[in-house]
Amino acid sequence: MLFRATLFLATGVALAFLALPVIAIFARVPPDELVASLGTEAAKDALVVTAKTNAISMVLILAFGTPAAYWIATRSSRLRDAVVTLVELPLVLPPAVAGIGLLAAFGRLGLLGGTMEAFGIDIAFTQVAVVLAVTFVASPFYVRTAVAAFESIDPTLPSAARTLGAGPARVFGRISLPLAAGGLGAGAALAFARGIGEFGATIMFAGSLQGTTQTLSLAVYEQFDLDFDVALAISAVLVVISGTVLLSVKLLSRWRSGSTTPIPFAPSTPTSR
Amino acid sequence: MRNRLAALLLVLVATVPLAATATAGQQANAPLTIYAAASLTDAFRTFDAGQNYSFAGSNALETQIRNGAPADVFASAAPLNTQRLFRAGLVEKPVTFTANRLALIVPRANPAGIRTIYDLRSKPVKLVVAGPAVPVGGYTITVLRKMGLSSVLGKVVSRESDVRAVTGKIALGQGDAGFVYVTDARAVSDQVTVIRIPAWAQPRVRYEIAVVARSSNRAAARAFINSVLSARGQTALKNAGFLPAPKAAS
Repeated sequence: MLFRATLFLATGVALAFLALPVIAIFARVPPDELVASLGTEAAKDALVVTAKTNAISMVLILAFGTPAAYWIATRSSRLRDAVVTLVELPLVLPPAVAGIGLLAAFGRLGLLGGTMEAFGIDIAFTQVAVVLAVTFVASPFYVRTAVAAFESIDPTLPSAARTLGAGPARVFGRISLPLAAGGLGAGAALAFARGIGEFGATIMFAGSLQGTTQTLSLAVYEQFDLDFDVALAISAVLVVISGTVLLSVKLLSRWRSGSTTPIPFAPSTPTSR
Repeated sequence: MRNRLAALLLVLVATVPLAATATAGQQANAPLTIYAAASLTDAFRTFDAGQNYSFAGSNALETQIRNGAPADVFASAAPLNTQRLFRAGLVEKPVTFTANRLALIVPRANPAGIRTIYDLRSKPVKLVVAGPAVPVGGYTITVLRKMGLSSVLGKVVSRESDVRAVTGKIALGQGDAGFVYVTDARAVSDQVTVIRIPAWAQPRVRYEIAVVARSSNRAAARAFINSVLSARGQTALKNAGFLPAPKAAS
């Protein structure tokens, strides 16, 4: 009885602690004012910048991340562990370190800065810099989940297809990709959620200018001491987006039927492998 | 049911001593929490390394104190921020303790070829400034207006959250030019070239310091402020490049 009570109490404290800041964002300003604050130029500009840069990032992440994940998943060498670690690194790096790294690599005085300048490419303080920052921090979420999705495919299925005469490209396109689709979708959703909320690397690498490089998170930071209501309104938008993404990950994992991909943040099912 | 209640009480009782210890920690010799303008970073750390500092844009610090941040002392790069808190009863009466000037800095390599402030108008340049609510951002607007150069604000590529972020972007060569305090320019003097701003165009940069009203250690906070105002404190500030506080209190 005491155990159950303690369990109950601890759960209550944990849930209240996690939910309270989220509730407070919506509770502090009435809904109509929240919507009105979203009409400000700063909020609208930030929404456009975020949508545009994240859309480009997602295209890049899917286009390069999917083949990379497939390659990693179909290797079984020592190299694989090293590659996976490399891919996972941005996942745990402090955002400030990511920002410094991007500056040291792509900054005007960075490793590639001179080369890029020779080609007349100057990305300092442009949306390209925002896209790079978002892609750097968000892509590991996709690649990691995608590797797991490809790995969880029953290996007899691709080999059966091969024995029936399908080439490697056909096996990838007709067997592996459809079977891993649920996991890939979930990975993409997680990468998207991380990308939308990207802050540290962006502010260090791309700077902050309304309408150009100021994303929603950067706008929250700037508005925080200019107009707290606007900061709250933008925060509310970010909460809604993040919540929607998490929910869609759960729905995706229900929708996929055949594959056994372990998906992070999916509802845990008691089925064993 | 009674057991549940007992467990709840147990948890509550268990947390009380913890809270009490936390409060007891705020004794006379405990370090103060000092919220100070980012431009004071080097000067304050050198002057008194024994305190806990939080350096940021004065406007951000003002908002944090307004929202109940546990600061003992607030040192602002503009009277506006301290005076607003004073009027709201959140700090004791602020005093002016030092002054500063602005400068334009460019990276050593000077990719945009900026030699004078007026080059900002004629040459393509990635100009980095602090946001308008940040004291140094406001002072930047004043300088440009006094020099008839307000149009160069159209060349701003980033509005940073404090002066140190501006300094960093220029020292790293990301930006072509940035407006900072002369004291910040000194901190990165090996990476940047300083372009002076004429005295007639300088804004009145006045720093104010005040005891935070909610501080649990106001006596020690006042002692810290007195040490900043003392000859030793003023010498430390002067060595960091700050100017003496203007005599006429305004």
